[in-house]
Amino acid sequence: MRKSLVWMTGCLGFALMVPLAMANAWNMPVGVTDVSREIHSLHMIIFWICVVIGVVVFGVMFYSLFRFRRSQGAKASNFHENTTVEVIWTAVPLLILVGMAIPATATLKKMYDASDAELDIMITGQQWRWRYEYLGEDVAFNSNMSTPRAQIQGDEPRGEHYLLEVDEPLVLPVNRKVRFLMTADDVIHSWWVPDLAVKQDTIPGFINENWVRINEPGIYRGQCTELCGMDHGFMPIVVEALEEEEFDAWLAERKEAAEQEAMGVDREWELEELMERGEAVYGSICASCHQAEGQGAPPAFPALADNQQLIDDLDWHLDKILNGVSGSAMPAFRGTLNPVEIAAVTTWTRNAWGNDTGDAVQPAEIAERLSD
Amino acid sequence: MWGVIKSVLAAFFGVQRERQRQEDFENGSPVAFIIVGVVLAVVLVVVVALVAVQASR
Ligand code: HEC
Ligand SMILES: [Cu+2]
Repeated sequence: MRKSLVWMTGCLGFALMVPLAMANAWNMPVGVTDVSREIHSLHMIIFWICVVIGVVVFGVMFYSLFRFRRSQGAKASNFHENTTVEVIWTAVPLLILVGMAIPATATLKKMYDASDAELDIMITGQQWRWRYEYLGEDVAFNSNMSTPRAQIQGDEPRGEHYLLEVDEPLVLPVNRKVRFLMTADDVIHSWWVPDLAVKQDTIPGFINENWVRINEPGIYRGQCTELCGMDHGFMPIVVEALEEEEFDAWLAERKEAAEQEAMGVDREWELEELMERGEAVYGSICASCHQAEGQGAPPAFPALADNQQLIDDLDWHLDKILNGVSGSAMPAFRGTLNPVEIAAVTTWTRNAWGNDTGDAVQPAEIAERLSD
Repeated sequence: MWGVIKSVLAAFFGVQRERQRQEDFENGSPVAFIIVGVVLAVVLVVVVALVAVQASR
């Protein structure tokens, strides 16, 4: 008897140690919003309830197996039912479940209440980047992964934020309620940032809502978490939370830059300027499919370098870029790139890699086509 | 009638006395159990809905 008690305590102790040891290394983050804290504490409470239930149930079971084994002369009793025991083992789980459901539902209600937001941001998933639009502020940009291909292919050592870094992060203010309106252009993606406790599917044709109020400035990283095609692993999310004044300054600066860009539509652009801009747009948007040297990856992605139809027919070329090719992976860029970017990338693809047409496509021309 | 209601409630809860079960099967027809079952199911839904609405005030 003494010995079996020692064994039992040992086993129980061990059963408690394992989750404790795991809790810190692999647990979900506490996060930086009130909601994320609530979710974390719910998770911990429910986790410990489960641990206690597990220890008690398996403890009783193993103790009984051991204590009442046949070699010690134990004899099975043979009764059919015991209503009292049955009522207890039905009522106790019922109470535990209701006890967990009440605080969980209260938190869920908070998560769904996106009303009274001070800032609205449209988040659009695209193969394979995120697009952020600050609604009513005329600020919008694409956020592309910035990890170099050489690191992915193993030619260079991996950086600190390998596959979790972008060219332009989503910038948000702390202490303000920000509402996200989330959708997708092509297939289902999912916007997930653990520290913000937001994990929301973005679905073409639907708009999902979510919200955050961040308590601490900082950089929070996440990923697309819905398998969305070839480069699913390469569309990370970076959120940069700024103090309120810093955010206002940032937004004002971005608005001004947007105005500058809009003015750029009206002026005449030099070929070199367009080429420089176009190379950058191509690298961040088109190269994932048509490849860095325009060689494509036939048959899936046609080559743009040395593409006779492209060289001969500007109208056809522009139609592909503006309207995409429905039923294929080629997206329509009329909504996601501005006239300057479209003119620049068209110019670049008409003059790079030996496509020496000499055409300088003007942003004004694109703007006119877009308004038709 | 009271016996039928008690048996249906016991079924909702998932625990029944063997003696009561034997009695239920002497009755012959299941119609009363089905009717009471449907009615009490509706009552349960309404009660849960009311509690939920009240609690979310
Ligand atoms: C998600 C992958 C993807 C991206 C990103 C992409 N394309 Fe395409 N593109 C395609 C596919 C697939 C086709 C072939 C469509 C078809 O005809 O079936 C195509 C076709 C084209 C064509 C017509 C070529 C031909 O021979 O039919 C042009 C021009 C083109 N893309 C330019 C661009 C430019 C410029 C960009 C960047 C602004 C870009 N694409 C971005 C997938 C992509
Ligand atoms: Cu995705």
